[in-house]
Amino acid sequence: MAVQSLTLWLLLALAGAVSGWRFYRLLRPLLRARPDPRFDRPGERMLGVLRAVGLHERLLKIRYSGILHAMIFSSFIVLFTAIVEAFGSGLFPGFSLAPVGGNTWIAWLQDVFAVVILVGLGLAAWQRYVIRPPRFRGSNMLDATLIYLLITAVVLTMLLQAACAIAAGHDAAAPWRPVSRQIAVLLTALGLGGESAARGEHFFYWAHVCAVLGFLIYLPGSKHRHMILAAINVYFRSLEPKGTLPPADIDHPPIGVGAIEEFTWKNMLDLYSCTECGRCQAACPAYAAGLPLSPKMLITDLRDHLIDKTAGATPEPLLGGAIAEETLWACTTCRACMEVCPVHIEHIPKIVDMRRQLVEQARVQPMLQEALSNLQRNGNSMGKSPRLRARWTKDLSFKIKDARAEPVDILWFVGDFASFDPRVQANTRRVAELLHGAGVDFGILYEAEQNSGNDVRRAGEEGLFEMLARHNIELLSSCTFNRVMTTDPHSLNALRQEYRAIGATFEVIHYTQLLLELIESGRLALAPGSGQVATYHDPCYLGRYNGGFDAPRRIIERTGHRLHEMERCRENSFCCGAGGGRIWSDDTGVTERPSENRIKEALALGDANYFVVACPKDKVMYTAAVQALGVEDRIEVRDIVDLIELAPRAIA
Amino acid sequence: MLVAVVLRLVPDLSGEFEIADDGKDIDREWVGMRLNEFDDHALEEAILLKEAEGATVIALALAGEGADRMLQSAIARGADRAVKISHSAEGGLSSRAAAPVIAAAVRQLGVELVLTGVQTPEDLFGQLAPYLGATLDWPHVSAVGGLRAAGAGIEVQQEYSGGVAATLRLRLPAVIGVQTASQPPRYVSGSKLRQAMSEPIAVLESDAMPAADTAEILALREPARSGEAVMLEGDAETVADKLHDLLVERGLVRA
Amino acid sequence: MSDILVHIETRAGAIQPVSFELLTAARELAGATGMKVEALVAAAAPQEVAGQLGAADRVLAVAHPALEPYTPEAHATVLAETVRLRDPAIVLLGYSSVGLDLAPNLAVRTGRPLVSYCVKLAAAGDTIEAESLVYGGKLRATTRAKLPAIFAVTPGSYAEAQTGAAPPEILDLTPPDAINKLRTAFVSETRPPPGAVDLTQADRILCVGRGIADKDSIALAEEVAAALGAEIAGSRPVIDAGWLPKERQVGKSGCKVKPKLYIAAGVSGAPEHLEGMSGAELIIAINSDAKAPIFRVAHYGTTCDLFDFLPALGELLKSGGTG
Repeated sequence: MAVQSLTLWLLLALAGAVSGWRFYRLLRPLLRARPDPRFDRPGERMLGVLRAVGLHERLLKIRYSGILHAMIFSSFIVLFTAIVEAFGSGLFPGFSLAPVGGNTWIAWLQDVFAVVILVGLGLAAWQRYVIRPPRFRGSNMLDATLIYLLITAVVLTMLLQAACAIAAGHDAAAPWRPVSRQIAVLLTALGLGGESAARGEHFFYWAHVCAVLGFLIYLPGSKHRHMILAAINVYFRSLEPKGTLPPADIDHPPIGVGAIEEFTWKNMLDLYSCTECGRCQAACPAYAAGLPLSPKMLITDLRDHLIDKTAGATPEPLLGGAIAEETLWACTTCRACMEVCPVHIEHIPKIVDMRRQLVEQARVQPMLQEALSNLQRNGNSMGKSPRLRARWTKDLSFKIKDARAEPVDILWFVGDFASFDPRVQANTRRVAELLHGAGVDFGILYEAEQNSGNDVRRAGEEGLFEMLARHNIELLSSCTFNRVMTTDPHSLNALRQEYRAIGATFEVIHYTQLLLELIESGRLALAPGSGQVATYHDPCYLGRYNGGFDAPRRIIERTGHRLHEMERCRENSFCCGAGGGRIWSDDTGVTERPSENRIKEALALGDANYFVVACPKDKVMYTAAVQALGVEDRIEVRDIVDLIELAPRAIA
Repeated sequence: MLVAVVLRLVPDLSGEFEIADDGKDIDREWVGMRLNEFDDHALEEAILLKEAEGATVIALALAGEGADRMLQSAIARGADRAVKISHSAEGGLSSRAAAPVIAAAVRQLGVELVLTGVQTPEDLFGQLAPYLGATLDWPHVSAVGGLRAAGAGIEVQQEYSGGVAATLRLRLPAVIGVQTASQPPRYVSGSKLRQAMSEPIAVLESDAMPAADTAEILALREPARSGEAVMLEGDAETVADKLHDLLVERGLVRA
Repeated sequence: MSDILVHIETRAGAIQPVSFELLTAARELAGATGMKVEALVAAAAPQEVAGQLGAADRVLAVAHPALEPYTPEAHATVLAETVRLRDPAIVLLGYSSVGLDLAPNLAVRTGRPLVSYCVKLAAAGDTIEAESLVYGGKLRATTRAKLPAIFAVTPGSYAEAQTGAAPPEILDLTPPDAINKLRTAFVSETRPPPGAVDLTQADRILCVGRGIADKDSIALAEEVAAALGAEIAGSRPVIDAGWLPKERQVGKSGCKVKPKLYIAAGVSGAPEHLEGMSGAELIIAINSDAKAPIFRVAHYGTTCDLFDFLPALGELLKSGGTG
């Protein structure tokens, strides 16, 4: 027995050393990495861990996977007692869990959850090898298979050991082990009994130990290390508002990330926590469009690059080497990936950080370069003279107040596309006339308004973003108003979230909120609606980023239309493909534009006549998509404001 | 090698503009100014020369509104120094008038190679590169599509029509009118521009007097609308239809 | 009385078309003023081409090996010396890469006024009134220069002087000493590779300009060009950006073409481009700016977005065929 104990100690020490060393090598770069302030608000952080891990909140969004994972996960917890029992009794002769129920309810739970985990593994294997969902494309199949095998080995050896013990008459817990008992019956029928059973028990004990230690050694190199890292990663998740990006100190280069070791420790931890589940890949509009970006592959490629670089191999650079430049520019920053990731990995800040370095090195495509140069020069991406910004007001029936010159209740920050793009100007005028008719006291900034900088920041041009932001904030500070209203969700995000970090504190609302206020207070009297069926597309920066889901929907209903939701709605809305600077990029490599994909989704509803949008870029993208698909006779793209028909004025 | 790039701001006529009341110039009060496109290429070529040969690049401009910003942007692009030439004349100077002033500065700075754009939209009275070359009595080549150091001098590609080009070798000092840089002018990020805003700009007093233009502008106006195109109206499909019919009519396309 | 001196540009032993245009302009001015027209040919063997210059009253021939192949310095030296010697009232040069260097250089060395980008010249007493296109062709300037003066003329402004006769007189001039002390040397010439497309032979051309926005949209234009049976070409910005090879450039530093059909998509129409194509039989222009200079030479135009128009045209062409 002493020899056994000693052997076990040695094996454990060896396995522990190997595993520990492998973990250390993995985590060493984190110790030297840039700081990341994630140690505040422990209560809130812990709560998030309980919801993510305990309640499997995001995991259950795919019911099948969520359930099978819950089965495996809970089994791990329960079966940990078996490992404690096995190692404890081996390392410390006399140790046993019997006093706390090791031979009663704990034994029963072990037996039951052994079956649960095997069923869970069966479901997992069925999904991975038979159903083969597309989100697993690119994931490491071998790693997954080895994990299934190792876990199965651990569980089966545990069961067989217990079965042999029962067959040999050793197991005091026999009455509490229904499954092992059945196996014992089977073994006895096969001729196993007494001596041979005892030897079997001994054999399977050591096999169990080896399986567990093998698992321990394998773990650091496998995506299954999420077992340990997931909760930690969720704990250290970002608690900053969704619409803000980590700042860059543009006065102290290098700006952004040009080499893997320049990432903060949390970014590195993200890489190791990835389970390769592919939910981000399935949600990504760029991936669906055929562009060379899969958020999952981005994370695993970064992870592999970090591992290689730490080990001293690979002279490959990060930008343009481990990660292709086209991959980085394909992202629309829609945040669908981060919304669905079960371990709360932060994909977008990494992409933006790498874009920042590309911009510094002038590695930008000509179209994007032109847009950024135009923004530098003229404050708008079209390169038009600032004097033309308010040209859209020319045909209005009244003169809009100049918010720079007099106080207003609502300061309307119009936005580039709504001001300059002829396809959107008609909407902008409509909004102006409606507000005027409803007696709203509003004004605009005329030619002093500049691009809010939201997408400039997301394109990685921090310096330009700061220039634009400071200009706008200074401008707004010199005006007198109660609230800022905007027709553009991207501007909404910048004004409400990003500018706050630079000192601005004004209240910002989306025009749909204002319109709803006017409707509900009766200042906009609506005509009875045409009763059309409408489907609504949640803009990324209004919905997912800023929680603005309901006002547009209430307007749709109030204007007498019937709302038929698409499956990918609200937080799961599917991006039009224009954000993150993509509207300033070309369509190379796109096999299906996200906007066309979305229109097809709307058409598949069968009865939707209107495709309702609440964002100027959406209006542009979806109108083009409807035209490109040639379905103008089946569905019409309408802005929220187009749905509003006023009741005819009563004749006095 | 000490290289100077002469940068000029020119009116941006891509938007709206008006003729001044006297009918002889554009209304400069509201028109936007931007860096002359060919000067942008000259600057890029200078930076490429610096990267290839370790040349020192001086960004040079006449004093005037917007000159500081333009010179600082040049530093952000990679120029080593910025020098502003102050002169006695008021208002803008034509290339001919500016040549002696710039030539004097070039001599003062001890520059060996001057690069500038082959022309500006305002070069009614001639282009700066050859004016500088002749004033300094240095060899000059215009319409250059790329240059590189070669021995003690430089080799340039002068471009002619029909895709023909010639490689010429010049002894330094020389003046080059750049038409196209060897690669498109690179982007300069906002942060680099920000950093460059704190760069000092040296001021050079030029004692030289501007030359006289010697010809007189009588009028500047939009060209008469004679013999103009027949505009096809309608949306894209309608116009494409009309055009297609036209081509069929002319026998250029089968129906 | 001083005369009109026309600078004759030669390359590979051939006189450039713009020089014949200058002779037409010179004859017009000679008719109005009574001056004589002298043509300066500076080349290795000027006698070989002198016989084509019957439109001039006299040919000034300067022979020196350093004059061919062309270098700006050699020719500037000869030109300045010739002007000093002959003291013409009017000097005419073509606005080409050659004229770009020689005209201002001559102006400084002789202290004479220079007016560039001329499209029309008219004598008025002891001055010349010139019309020039400036600001990318958007504006027209009228100037008056007191003679003696120099004028650089945009190619395509005048018809080429036709004459079968030889010039009445050929005068040999000795090149100045400075021609032996040049600091510029010719190294080599590059021509478009053989087998490369020769746009001058194409009878249908679809030319894209800056408005095409990026390299990948070229594919769209190429599709339409193919459906049309046309060669694809580009204006200078497109070639500079590397989106099309140099031999597909139309314009002053590219090809001069005279096809049956020329479609310009997203081309603004700066004089340097017009120089290359204004002689086309049928010119169609697509540009969202209604004021773009291209519409002044186009026969038909539209301000439709070319990204909507080109695919629409492509569809119609594909369902038909080429004539």
